[in-house]
Amino acid sequence: MSTPVTIIMIEDDEGHARLIERNIRRSGVNNEIRPFTNGTEAIEYLFGPDGTGSAHKNEALLVLLDLNLPDMSGIDILRRVKENRFLKYAPVVVLTTTDDEHEIKRCYELGCNVYITKPVNYESFANAIRQLGLFFSVIQVPQATT
Amino acid sequence: MLVTVDATRRRRLTQIILLVAGLLVLVAISAASIMLVDKARDDSSLVVHTVEVENQISGVLLEIHRAESAVRGYLLISEPAFLTQYETAVIASRGTVNRLLGLTSDNPVQIANGNELKAAVEKRLREFNAEMARLKDNDRQGSIDLLRTARVAATTQRITEITDAMRREEDRLFAARTISADRSQALASVVTIAGSGLVIALAGLSIFLVRRSSRARDEAEAQLRDNNLNLETTVDERTADLREANEEIQRFAYIVSHDLRSPLVNIMGFTSELEELRNDIFRRIASLSRAASPDTLAPENVTDSAEPVLDGPDAKLSEDFNEALGFIKSSIGKMDRLITAILNLTREGRREFKPEKIDVRELIETIVATVAHQAAEADAQIRVQPLPDIVSDRLALEQIFSNLIDNALKYLKTGVPGDISISGRTKLGFAIFEVTDNGRGIDAKDHQRIFDLFRRAGTQDKPGQGIGLAHVRALVRRLGGTMSVTSELQAGSTFTITLPLKWTLSTRGKNT
Repeated sequence: MSTPVTIIMIEDDEGHARLIERNIRRSGVNNEIRPFTNGTEAIEYLFGPDGTGSAHKNEALLVLLDLNLPDMSGIDILRRVKENRFLKYAPVVVLTTTDDEHEIKRCYELGCNVYITKPVNYESFANAIRQLGLFFSVIQVPQATT
Repeated sequence: MLVTVDATRRRRLTQIILLVAGLLVLVAISAASIMLVDKARDDSSLVVHTVEVENQISGVLLEIHRAESAVRGYLLISEPAFLTQYETAVIASRGTVNRLLGLTSDNPVQIANGNELKAAVEKRLREFNAEMARLKDNDRQGSIDLLRTARVAATTQRITEITDAMRREEDRLFAARTISADRSQALASVVTIAGSGLVIALAGLSIFLVRRSSRARDEAEAQLRDNNLNLETTVDERTADLREANEEIQRFAYIVSHDLRSPLVNIMGFTSELEELRNDIFRRIASLSRAASPDTLAPENVTDSAEPVLDGPDAKLSEDFNEALGFIKSSIGKMDRLITAILNLTREGRREFKPEKIDVRELIETIVATVAHQAAEADAQIRVQPLPDIVSDRLALEQIFSNLIDNALKYLKTGVPGDISISGRTKLGFAIFEVTDNGRGIDAKDHQRIFDLFRRAGTQDKPGQGIGLAHVRALVRRLGGTMSVTSELQAGSTFTITLPLKWTLSTRGKNT
């Protein structure tokens, strides 16, 4: 990896965030993880003060997204990311409790790269996250180009 | 309602009375008119009669005078023409008197007068005869003498008196009869006018009553229409309310079950983390206790993930810890299954049904094929009888029958070969399906309970959430059907499902 990938974790439940982070670390991924607990802050960070997203044009980002956020729907964030010309190459992993088929279909239609349902069973949960970690380590995250 | 019925009856009675009264009045008027006209005709014929009598009286007098003048003429010139004239007059006067007598035969006064007149006339005729006889004997002088005698004049006077009396009598009768005729005519017109007035009044009253009752009927009809409309609107509103409430409940259940899942992930996650920590802690305790007792041999690899060797109170502590964690984890698992079940139910409740023609037998045979392995394990045979085809939702039917067949397989009696039979028939636009087994049966007190969500009956030796039958019944209801169970402990069960042969979207509300 030429540029270290920054993982943007948008997750309102701090417990979930902690569990996700632990399991990512356990799988040997040591990239920087930036946690956000609500949509507004995440949007502010992603699109920068000017709202264009050009602030991250030379960075490699990976978005871990929860759909149930207190202030907005994760789907809105997904749509905005995928519509932005600087951010659209960033892989988006939707990680949520919803296993509704319509919701999953909609996310993939909007350009989500991976959709993972949070299982209550911790073994499965940890496995899913660890596999995601492996996935992070093999994928090439392209830099946002101008 | 009672008041209205009473009023209607009273109104009807009033109308009948009015009609009868009108008819009676008309009959009375007709009868009175006929009577009065009859009387008037009688009266006028009596008047005519009087005139006729007077005419005859004049005729008698005229004939007497003619006879007299003929006698005198003959006396003067002895012309035979006068003789002929005399004889004619005599015959005519007799005839006239007789006619007069015939006409007045109804009146005793006039009979007496008439008889007197007849006598006088006869007497006068006899005198004429005597005169004529003398003249024929050429005793002119004797005849003149005879003429001069006062007796002759007296007879003539007498005739005049009698006729005058008769005339007076007839005048009196005439006057009386005229008055009577006038009176009956006046009476006739009074009766006619009064009767007509009464009939018109009754007709007016009838029309008024009819109009009033028809107005009342129109109002009642309008009100009925309004009520019907209101009722429909009310039903629509209520249905909409219910549907909304139902959707609200489903949304609520969906959201709640979703949101419950989130903390559950944490509880489970950190419980597992605690488990990890527990291992670390007890390993540490083990190594510390070993360090405190130098007698014990130092194990080679203490840091390994293998269970740390503990003894005495430490082992007890570790067991308690494990037990607590075990309960937490099993409870979380149960809670997760319940939440998943609720989610699936709400998802099912929101699914739109698509009615289509279904070969039920084929559908059930497919289900039977998928459970063939379980059936073989349970040593059970499944018999599918001929079944009626219906128009319904395929997925719902699949779920209904696979749940029932699963249950039948699941709750067989151990040691007895299972026998499950699915039969069906049609009745009055409905298809009735029966799933019968020879399994362990259900106690009568649990027949209602087994259809409740999360409730189960009998020995709890099989896995399950208590959702299947609740789900089946909800589906059957949504399909516009009913379901029931007949069963006894140790004697098998029969689940009966009644479904409409042809289900349409409008058969029942979309949400049940």
